[in-house]
Amino acid sequence: MKLHVIKQRNLWWAISAAFILSGLAAMLISWQNFGAPLRPSLDFVGGSRLQLELACAREKTCEQPIDPATVRSVLAEQGLANSSIQVLGTEQDALLIRTSTLNVEQRTELLQALEAKLGKFDPAATQIDTVGPTLGRQIFTSGLLALLAAFAGIMVYLSLRFQFDYALFAIVALLHDVLVTLGLFSILGLVSGLEVDSLFIVALLTIVGFSVNDTVVIYDRIRERIKESPGRHINDIVDEAVNQTLTRSINTTLTTILSLVAIFLFGGETLKYFALALIVGFVAGAYSSIFIASTLLAFWRERTGRAIAQPEPVADGPLDITPSPEDA
Amino acid sequence: MGRQRSLLALILLLAIAAAVLLTQRPLNLGLDLRGGSQLTLQVSPTAEVPEITPEKMESVRAVVERRVNGLGVSEALVQTVGDTQLLVQLPGVSDPAQAERVLGDTAQLDFRQQRQGTEAQLRAEYQVLQGLLVQQANLEINNADPAELAENRAAIERSNQAIASLFDKVGLTGDMLRNAYAQPISGNAWEVGLEFNEEGGQKFAEMTKAVAGTGRSLGIFLDDDLLSAPTVDVKYAETGIVGGRASISGGFDAQRAGELALQLRSGALPVPVEIVENRTVGATLGRDSIQRSIYAAIAGLILVLIFMVVYYRLPGLLADIALVVYALLTLALFNLLNVTLTLPGIAGFILSIGMAVDANVLIFERTREELRSGKTLYRSVESGFYRAFSSILDSNVTTLIACAALFWLGVGLVKGFALTLAIGVVVSMFTALTCTRTLLLTALSVPSLRKPSYFSPGVSNSPSARPSST
Repeated sequence: MKLHVIKQRNLWWAISAAFILSGLAAMLISWQNFGAPLRPSLDFVGGSRLQLELACAREKTCEQPIDPATVRSVLAEQGLANSSIQVLGTEQDALLIRTSTLNVEQRTELLQALEAKLGKFDPAATQIDTVGPTLGRQIFTSGLLALLAAFAGIMVYLSLRFQFDYALFAIVALLHDVLVTLGLFSILGLVSGLEVDSLFIVALLTIVGFSVNDTVVIYDRIRERIKESPGRHINDIVDEAVNQTLTRSINTTLTTILSLVAIFLFGGETLKYFALALIVGFVAGAYSSIFIASTLLAFWRERTGRAIAQPEPVADGPLDITPSPEDA
Repeated sequence: MGRQRSLLALILLLAIAAAVLLTQRPLNLGLDLRGGSQLTLQVSPTAEVPEITPEKMESVRAVVERRVNGLGVSEALVQTVGDTQLLVQLPGVSDPAQAERVLGDTAQLDFRQQRQGTEAQLRAEYQVLQGLLVQQANLEINNADPAELAENRAAIERSNQAIASLFDKVGLTGDMLRNAYAQPISGNAWEVGLEFNEEGGQKFAEMTKAVAGTGRSLGIFLDDDLLSAPTVDVKYAETGIVGGRASISGGFDAQRAGELALQLRSGALPVPVEIVENRTVGATLGRDSIQRSIYAAIAGLILVLIFMVVYYRLPGLLADIALVVYALLTLALFNLLNVTLTLPGIAGFILSIGMAVDANVLIFERTREELRSGKTLYRSVESGFYRAFSSILDSNVTTLIACAALFWLGVGLVKGFALTLAIGVVVSMFTALTCTRTLLLTALSVPSLRKPSYFSPGVSNSPSARPSST
């Protein structure tokens, strides 16, 4: 397989632009609906989430499934009418309730009222999360700060190891990956009510850390090719470098996605969407390294009249190699 | 070959040590995996304490720790996070609501001295209050209408204020109380023992000296509500109760004495705290998560192992061995560094398995290229390592930069993920560069394995690719 990344760059750019624009559109719609570009979970807006399972669920002796209408009427009595209710479990014997922030008394009262109507819950299978609104903001800002810090750190490092324009387009590629992931989750939020929690920020940062790997490997090859044949046009060099590293890009993305698919399938509710975010981000990352970061670099060098580059003096990392006597 | 052999021995030794360590000492599992409550308490400044100093934080922490100990949870953990937050971890707690009530109580405790000439008034007011409290309990049982309840509650509030106005503050506050405990005297009778620090002891002596034998009492107030109003025996009129120890007796049963002691112990917060986050996971739920994560980890590992052998053949097999060593070493490091494994932490580890093979993929792709260009096997392997190095270094450093950003700026679970991923990245560089390389070079010293087709399908055993025999 031989890719002509440069020749068809307008196509690659159009594909990315289409993805990003539809994501941005979804974020705009989300903004109008929930006041945020993605459907936020209680990690960010604060609130209480109670995941409950009837005590009879373990022994499979529950007589009847939980009726959401009963739950709704109990919540309404407690003045929590605008909470979301989900009945879970194969036997419909588990319950997920999301409400505004409840303090201990309110929560105890709610639990007692529910137990009176539905039967006893199993405390060992209960999960209760309460996050105050201020803390949610804190998680959000710290996540955003971490993202910016990671961008800045990567930018500085790549500027030092490569050149400033390499670093710049690596960041553009990263923004691409982040936007694609944000966009898809925004769409999922609109379509299937998927909420993003603090793990999503972790996922974004991991995507940043990982996708830049791909870009760096291709850049590394471009740099090497330039050093070896300084007289060649940047377009040829980029094409060649991309093709030489293509198998590696595919295989690495594949092995990583294999582990992620394992998490997605077996990892349970919370980790599932974390894994999905990573899968989306990593695929976008592999795409952007091959089709965006490198083509933009070539485009830029051509535009600024540096298509035929001067070899740059860059020291390679040291590696202890002792020539073997066998290798005569 | 001597260098290879000793490196191989070292790696083997490390792997065995890691395996032994892992069987001897269980990994530290987070609350989301073993079940329990994790609470974040926010400390806020007040008019009296406009600034939360580290010393104030420390005293808040001490009080919270005491309250936690009062709950009788084993292996509980209280630590300060940032400047104004406390993180409380209660593994396996059975009643998170009780824990929240006890920890989130912002009550302020102080000891006050009754004013002269208010004895009769106190008795009367106290009786009014008791009556109101009984009435309140009755109303609540009978589900009385809200207006009536509110009215009664207001009456209680007024009564409490009236009582509080009969006492003078003497500056003896809860933070001077070192301990309070219930102890039996005889039969069913219990008393509550008190221990003050030095300053508190002196103030207590002065106060008890002033009221001893007068019929006036000293009032113990929690948030301006009278908890107890013991009188002091006349025999202390000369000196007061000195030595910082005292006991309150009189009509307590075990339960009431225990309750008062707990209220006293936990009433010494110098500033109000608020529970801003509570994450409670039931024990079985946590166990399910562990099981699923282990399945995910094993499934991920196996998929990657298979892929490597199928695609890269002999080097792939050696990389697989390195990957298993990697998994052992990383888990052992988690163990040694006391990393608390949380759900995202495990995800970080599983992810690092996928990333760990990246270095090997880079190296093997390079090796293949060199082989195709007609170099000898040995030289191809060596230059595969050499030329892939800068890519491996740069790509891992950028991941580490992202981890560092997550670790320093992230909160809670995010930190755990960053740490496990970073450890994974560092260990993977070691195993890919050292372990795989040593294994490969050792394999090359076995003549029957020296076939380029074991390394790259499609490369023939051309004469130039066959190393000369030693």
